[in-house]
Amino acid sequence: MAGDPGAPIGTTALAAHGLSKRFGRKVALDAVDLAVPAGSVTALVGPNGAGKTTLIRVCMAFERPNSGGVEVDGVDPWKHRSEALRRVGYVPQTPAVYRGLSVEDHLSMARSLHSGFDASYARRRLEQLGIPLDQRADTLSGGQAAQLGLAVALGTRAKVLLLDEPLANLDPLARREFIQVLLDAVRSEGSTALLSSHIVTDVEDACDRLVILGGGKIRLDCPLEEARQTHRLTEADSPPPGATAVGSFLGKGGQKVMTLWRLATVANGEGAAHGAGGTGDAGPSPEAASLEDVVLGYLAAGRGAGLQLN
Amino acid sequence: MLARIRLTFKQHRFETMAVTIVCVALTATALVEAYRLNSLNVPLACLQTYQGGYMTVIGGPSQGPVTAAQAQCNELANSFFDMRRSLDMNLVQLLLLLVPLLAGIVVGAPLVAREIEQGTAPLSWALAGSRRRWLLGKVLAGVLLLASLMLAVGLAANVLEGALNPGLNPYASFSNYLGRGVMDVFWALAAFAGTFALGTILGRTMPAVVLALVVCFFARAAWDSGMTHFVLRPFAVQQVQQDQLQQQGYVVYGPGGPSTADLYVYYKSFIDGKEVTDAEVNAWYNLNMVCVPISTPTSSDSTSPAGTGSPGASSSPGGMPTPDESGVDSGVPCQNPTIDPSHMPQQVTYVIPGGWYWQTVALESGLLLLGSLFCGAIAFVWVDRRRPY
Repeated sequence: MAGDPGAPIGTTALAAHGLSKRFGRKVALDAVDLAVPAGSVTALVGPNGAGKTTLIRVCMAFERPNSGGVEVDGVDPWKHRSEALRRVGYVPQTPAVYRGLSVEDHLSMARSLHSGFDASYARRRLEQLGIPLDQRADTLSGGQAAQLGLAVALGTRAKVLLLDEPLANLDPLARREFIQVLLDAVRSEGSTALLSSHIVTDVEDACDRLVILGGGKIRLDCPLEEARQTHRLTEADSPPPGATAVGSFLGKGGQKVMTLWRLATVANGEGAAHGAGGTGDAGPSPEAASLEDVVLGYLAAGRGAGLQLN
Repeated sequence: MLARIRLTFKQHRFETMAVTIVCVALTATALVEAYRLNSLNVPLACLQTYQGGYMTVIGGPSQGPVTAAQAQCNELANSFFDMRRSLDMNLVQLLLLLVPLLAGIVVGAPLVAREIEQGTAPLSWALAGSRRRWLLGKVLAGVLLLASLMLAVGLAANVLEGALNPGLNPYASFSNYLGRGVMDVFWALAAFAGTFALGTILGRTMPAVVLALVVCFFARAAWDSGMTHFVLRPFAVQQVQQDQLQQQGYVVYGPGGPSTADLYVYYKSFIDGKEVTDAEVNAWYNLNMVCVPISTPTSSDSTSPAGTGSPGASSSPGGMPTPDESGVDSGVPCQNPTIDPSHMPQQVTYVIPGGWYWQTVALESGLLLLGSLFCGAIAFVWVDRRRPY
């Protein structure tokens, strides 16, 4: 499923066009089209090996695409790396800190490497979180190290923030703090964030857009609210009127097979949650799908593990 | 850039500290050992006339009865040579040879490889618009560290060389010239450049260290031969041609060259003006220098066109290789035939005189620097293309 090809020029912070990347025989990204609107916080969700990290690495010019390309704020990072990287703040998958260097040293290093780095801005954010600047970075907790990585990325004052599963190793409290700092920064700076994760609940409250990546392909790309409103869940294979099956997967507890349906039109209000289109005559009423259900449905479809439904 | 250099030192503080400590300790030890040798105050004449044979090329061992003065001289010389042969002196000399290479490897290997291993490369490369500038900051730190430390080590090695060889000017002598002076700096830089290039390509520190050790070992072992065959010969030929012009003939030097300060390069043999191989020289001796029995002339006369010779004729004039004297039947008194010396094989030893020390060092340092720049260029190209993990 393509992204938002109709987005007018100038409002897309990050775009991919027919982007493919292979590692030997393994296809990591398969003709991906994506458009991340400027000012959005987009969740890039998918299982391990879906291609999330590869997509971000291509955006960082760490990987060269086999075909197609990406544009970060209108700049192709592979052709104009330094120009593209000036526009990007990057938080790697695992908090990478220099052993033996203090927090302040990290900011000094960032300033020496990035001409536009705002060390005082980054320092303020770290002080707000109570992270001592003179502490050695390798003695920071996982959450603090992640915050340091985020502070360095935010200090670049970049228009686009790419965060590669920064929450994966954090405890729930640290995750919440991280998300909060990110959202504050994005809102105050008007920047765009692409936050990858394989844990849906991490990003549910933070993001306003959802991109589901599975098997190297974009399975869904839409605003978060739209994803909730256009999908329904049923236990049986009786579809809501006008709906098309997305995929089936085992429900909570592993007892029932649930099917995710995509509605033709956006369902409105409470009624929609209990019976899309007002129907209730064919089997059990469809339930409103949670974000996790939506993701599971698309991933099941991507893997071909779902029940075959018409 | 200064901040980058400072942070590079801090980031690699273990290597920085280790190399600094080793180099400072080695410099101090070399100077102390030189001081110990110098403080013996052995007159050069004692060493030249020492019965043990030191500098026999220069002075030759003294002959005749040992006087009191000579005995005192010998005692001093004995102390000198005991100290020169001591374990600590040998260890220092060995370390002076190895430390430039090892320091270069230790500093160079983790420069890029550790960033990749520890996952910090993506962080830095995302911040740095140009990876080459990022690498330049790190390389400059390594070059500054190694150049300053190795200069100190090299100068101390020069002082020690002077103390080990009294009467020899280390700046006008090729004695151990590859392991002292500015050569130490360039050996260290070459090892550094090669190793950080390997680290950049491999992305792993330990494999880069191991591979660099192997490469450095072979490079160092092959250096002498390579230099001799491809670089230094023109120097030596030029010098010999000068000498030939001055002396109007062949230059026949003793073993090791005309003096201990000179650098032996290679030699050529001639018979009646024609260049010949060692095998041809041996054949000539076998044919012409067969020992002729004194009392009973034998058929070997017929194989010796020069006829019978006079007693005392040298069998290896001018430091020639000892000919195969298989014709000598031990137990039978015999004498070599007399041959006109102008028709005997002549050997021209090609050497570079000690006075050409600086030119030669500049040439070899330049080649090492070229090698370093080549390795560095590979690393700079590679770092721009490689993945940061």
